Amino acid sequence: MWKITYRVHRQKGHEAPHYDTFQVEVDPEEYVLDGVEKIWAFEDRSLTFRHACHHSTCGACGMRVNGVEKLTCITKIKDVTQDGGTLTVEPLRNFPIVSDLVVDLGPLYRKMEAVQAPKVHPLSMAPWEGEDIRPPKEVPAPPEGGEYIRLPDCLECGICISACPVAASDPDYLGPAPLAAIQIQGLDGHPELLALADSQEGVWRCHSAFECSAVCPSNVDPGWRIMDLRKQVATQRLKTIIG
Amino acid sequence: MKADKHNSKGFWDWFNPAGRDVGGWAFILNRISALGLAFYLYLHLFVLGKLAQGPEVFDQFIAAAKSPLYIAGELLVIAAALYHGLNGVRLVLNSFNIGVPRQKQMFYTALALTILGTLVFATRMFAG
Amino acid sequence: MSKPHAIVIGAGFTGTAIAHDLALRGFDVTVVERGPIANGTSGRTHGLLHSGGRYAVKDQESAIECIEENIILRKIVPDVIEPNGGLFIAVTEDDLAYKETFIQGCEACGIPVDEITPQEALRLEPNLNPKLLAALIVPDGTFDPLRLALSFAASAKKNGAVFHLFTDVVDMLLDGSGNVTGVKVWDRTNGERYDIHSDIVVNATGAWVGQITKMAHAHVPIKPTPGIMVAYDRRLVNRAINRLNRPSDGDIVLPQRRLAVVGTTSFSIDDVDYVPIDRQQVELMLQRGAELIPAIRQARERGVYMATRPLIGASGPGRSISRTFKAYDHKDLDNVDGLVTITGGKATTCRAMAEKTVDIVCQKLGLNIPCTTAEVPLTSYRAFYA
Ligand SMILES: Cc1cc2nc3c(=O)[nH]c(=O)nc-3n(C[C@H](O)[C@H](O)[C@H](O)COP(=O)(O)OP(=O)(O)OC[C@H]3O[C@@H](n4cnc5c(N)ncnc54)[C@H](O)[C@@H]3O)c2cc1C
Ligand code: SF4
Ligand code: FES
Repeated sequence: MWKITYRVHRQKGHEAPHYDTFQVEVDPEEYVLDGVEKIWAFEDRSLTFRHACHHSTCGACGMRVNGVEKLTCITKIKDVTQDGGTLTVEPLRNFPIVSDLVVDLGPLYRKMEAVQAPKVHPLSMAPWEGEDIRPPKEVPAPPEGGEYIRLPDCLECGICISACPVAASDPDYLGPAPLAAIQIQGLDGHPELLALADSQEGVWRCHSAFECSAVCPSNVDPGWRIMDLRKQVATQRLKTIIG
Repeated sequence: MKADKHNSKGFWDWFNPAGRDVGGWAFILNRISALGLAFYLYLHLFVLGKLAQGPEVFDQFIAAAKSPLYIAGELLVIAAALYHGLNGVRLVLNSFNIGVPRQKQMFYTALALTILGTLVFATRMFAG
Repeated sequence: MSKPHAIVIGAGFTGTAIAHDLALRGFDVTVVERGPIANGTSGRTHGLLHSGGRYAVKDQESAIECIEENIILRKIVPDVIEPNGGLFIAVTEDDLAYKETFIQGCEACGIPVDEITPQEALRLEPNLNPKLLAALIVPDGTFDPLRLALSFAASAKKNGAVFHLFTDVVDMLLDGSGNVTGVKVWDRTNGERYDIHSDIVVNATGAWVGQITKMAHAHVPIKPTPGIMVAYDRRLVNRAINRLNRPSDGDIVLPQRRLAVVGTTSFSIDDVDYVPIDRQQVELMLQRGAELIPAIRQARERGVYMATRPLIGASGPGRSISRTFKAYDHKDLDNVDGLVTITGGKATTCRAMAEKTVDIVCQKLGLNIPCTTAEVPLTSYRAFYA
């Protein structure tokens, strides 16, 4: 067991934010989120934080750990501090704060709905990059016919938005995850998506900091997708000019 | 449950290096070099304005411009211009989805070339 | 009479499904949840949309509920489900000996089951243990836990339900004869404490139901039995892979986005708020999971987590208690009126649990409004934030 210090961002109602420190005994194999839950269970019941799945599939537990955006449910304590060390835990940036570590992800969810981000999609739409052990690329169709359906990679965790410097100054910028969701669908036959991607708050707002791709925990690589979407937008526009 | 405070400091966050990765640093440098160059442009116009005030004033200024401090300032401008230009090439290529998976290496290259170029100018200017 | 007002405590699968059902039947609904949506057992569920196969031999009541609800959920909330089916595979002689019993059980419960050859199974799922002896296809599925609960919550909200998240129920409001008339709450986003009055309070706090009933001087026979799950960083299968045998530890591997998740175990605890992880159980998951999918040994562990079942019954080893849910009217149980407790069950059966609970609520209030949740499609989970 390790003894570490959690330095936790606190904020209630309209009070000014401050930091509380908690000395916690943790198993270094545990995750940062487990430590936060432990603080709530044994130290301070007033603490609020977001979580659900505890294994990187729901996107609820995004926070900043020592300044860097992380899915706290899969960030092992031993990877971000040492015995006797300190962990600073803060809410995501660029979202409204509800209280303590809780932000309102509403703006992201509304944008994802606006770009019709697929909620489930055929397996073939999922990129295979980064998979070393996998079923063959040509996955056989199920005997019942049709194609396998899967949930998309994007967890709608908002971590990319938190890391994006452009989202910091422009809350209306569509942002990495929604733009990536447009790219995944493609622009062919989607004039409404082309309009969104090519708008003021679309692909051209991005200033290529690539912070989204650096922090995305789920292989989405939104930075790459935004650049690819630029190419797609340019191609579509060229097509309409040439006719 | 009501949220009202947007958790960001607006454009000040452009320059906040906390938790930034390589691409973020490239972005910060790009912003700073842009602001620096814009500032220099005003300075430049101001100096040109001196020309209108007659030759003595201008000569006086040229003398001051030979000081090492001033040369260092010019080098900063050169470095900013080099970086902004080279990183600009990186960003344009990226925007056509060329080399995005290598954007970090491209940044390092832009940075190395900037430093190299600035050094070349430095040796020339201080020597001459 | 104006609209009856119901308070639902807890926003897991059970609470959100009840809120949706109540709102559809015209109630004024207030949901009080001490965390975000699905932070308790529901969010941490393994995620198997049961075909019922798992219970078809020992617990046919559960199995029938599962297959019925499986079909309904696919229809009303397709957005959060991977409807890819499931396999029960035999890798030992003991597994193989179970095959006939299993098929008979499935047939008795109306669960479609098809035998395919091991070669065919390997073609469908190349990462299966190549030594498999038999394979049966059933209509299992997998679902995204948070988004399933969010879908019910979004639908409830659309019909007027109000959600108070990060708000704890700290006590019951009781009248002179000890009947429940509302709840005392503590809103942790701003520290405020206040009372909410209602015609009925529904206790849907899963493994925590006992804490709520205690506040009303009532009781409920509940046994918290947690289980572990381990997520590996490769999507090694596209459908639910079950061990063809009696339910035991680590006998299910599920795909989830890019992950494969192995579960689970069953043991008893007292404190439900924080359940520490036992590395021995993690090892067990790896070992048992690899018997089904050997490639798990080459994948990396990505997340290890625990969830606590609210099993009904006060004694006996965990897994043999019936998993069928129970709804209690505390008027009958403890002579406390105004409080209904629902617990047990499964994610797969949450809609049916809600139906039964709201039936009891309506009956108590002398209302006769039919349930329509089996027909009404849920709204987009994202609409919870609309
Ligand atoms: C290990 C494991 C694996 C499982 N796998 C599957 C599966 O694959 N498929 C399947 O169909 N089912 C599965 N289940 C079963 C299923 O997860 C549960 O039956 C279901 O989640 C229970 O939901 P619930 O809403 O009743 O409880 P919970 O989700 O626990 O909800 C109770 C809520 O009440 C809240 N609460 C508690 N006290 C208070 C208070 N004082 N004030 C306000 N709110 C309060 C809690 O915060 C919590 O959100 C699994 C269960 C376990 C344990
Ligand atoms: S793109 Fe990545 S970081 Fe952004 S919301 Fe989706 S999963 Fe999260
Ligand atoms: S709790 Fe679901 S992603 Fe971390």
